[in-house]
Amino acid sequence: MKYALTFTLNGGEVDVLVKPTDTLLDVLREKINIVSAKRGCDSGDCGTCTVLLDGKPVRSCLTIAMTVAGRDVKTVESLSSTDGELHALQRAFHEHGATQCGFCTPGMLMSAKALLDMNSKPTRDEVVDAISGNLCRCGAYYEIIEAIEAVVNSE
Amino acid sequence: MNSARYFAPKGIEEALKIRAEHGETATVLAGGTDLVPKINYYDLKPAVLLYIGGIGLDYVREEQGVLRVGAGTTWAGLISSSLVTAKASVLSSAARQGGCVATRNAGTIGGNVVNASPAADLATPLLVMDTELLLESEAGKRTVAVRDFFTGPGETVLRGDEILVEMSVPRVTGKTVFIKLGRRKAMTLSVVNVAVRLDMDGRTCKEARIALGSMGPTPMRCTKAEEMLNGTALDEALIRECAVQAIAESRPIDDQRATAWYRKSVGEALLARALAQAAGKDS
Repeated sequence: MKYALTFTLNGGEVDVLVKPTDTLLDVLREKINIVSAKRGCDSGDCGTCTVLLDGKPVRSCLTIAMTVAGRDVKTVESLSSTDGELHALQRAFHEHGATQCGFCTPGMLMSAKALLDMNSKPTRDEVVDAISGNLCRCGAYYEIIEAIEAVVNSE
Repeated sequence: MNSARYFAPKGIEEALKIRAEHGETATVLAGGTDLVPKINYYDLKPAVLLYIGGIGLDYVREEQGVLRVGAGTTWAGLISSSLVTAKASVLSSAARQGGCVATRNAGTIGGNVVNASPAADLATPLLVMDTELLLESEAGKRTVAVRDFFTGPGETVLRGDEILVEMSVPRVTGKTVFIKLGRRKAMTLSVVNVAVRLDMDGRTCKEARIALGSMGPTPMRCTKAEEMLNGTALDEALIRECAVQAIAESRPIDDQRATAWYRKSVGEALLARALAQAAGKDS
């Protein structure tokens, strides 16, 4: 059985038909072609599918799509401006070499965005805690933390 | 083929009606952090998904000294609740150490309890606080002490027509401590977790509660070890003996996270540390 689902994605309304067992990640990747949210583990462990739901980071792979009905979802596409100008976090990731293969980057950025939205002056421990659920197999953690701290210190 | 059906009731009565109609075929969905991996990996093919995120179970309040925590309260909600921090600090302490920001925003206390993992990090704090669980069905309500709730790994006394609605925590007396050991700090299941509560009168222990996680088929109380402390003046030797007794009551297994031998060794050390801290000593 398929159900009509309406939610807000990056500021615009989307309507899709979904199965009850479809996750938000399934819907983003396979129905809306938003492939920035990656499928790493499909069990919540890796964090690369992290998106913001009503402003808070969640795993899109653990979120049953139907439960976001009427709610606000933001992926990494929401960070840059409409004319393509990068967000301060994206620029900092670029400048600090905080991306290697790039697979974890969308999730890292959304976790970092959620942190800075809640707390504009986090300590290093708070930065580390905010991304503790995002795995980077390249091991670029140092550069990622440095990039986030650079944004914190520039504001 | 997938013919699953989805229900998102707006209130508890409606949810209980759907639960009663579909019985065991209805899979109750809250935060999804334990349930959805099972769906993604085809270990679970639900015929009916009953989403209870919209039925008003996300609350924390205090009534006549009893802390009432709605089953839909998220881990993040436990951490941010000043009432939980003030009245049940052992619960917020455990919540802070679970998962990561993203899973704490979704996962619920009720889900952690009903999922009934032997490693459930919120179960041991609930055990030492003598928590009662309110279970509701269309037929009525019943309360079950959390220590009587778990019957095995993933197994509980919850019936197919029931929903866990609320945890009620009586006024917590004494000092509580929670210690978790995992393979890493974030996003990890406990190798061992311990929760203790000691109600002290000077050096004498009036009442002790000791709970172990990941040390048997269910989160467990160690009642013989507790009895060793009740009415007794605590010293380091007794604390060590008590930890040995508690571990003797446990039944850990070898699994991918640790061996039973390691769990017993480290569990004894962590429990002795927790008891010393709760008895008011520095460690």
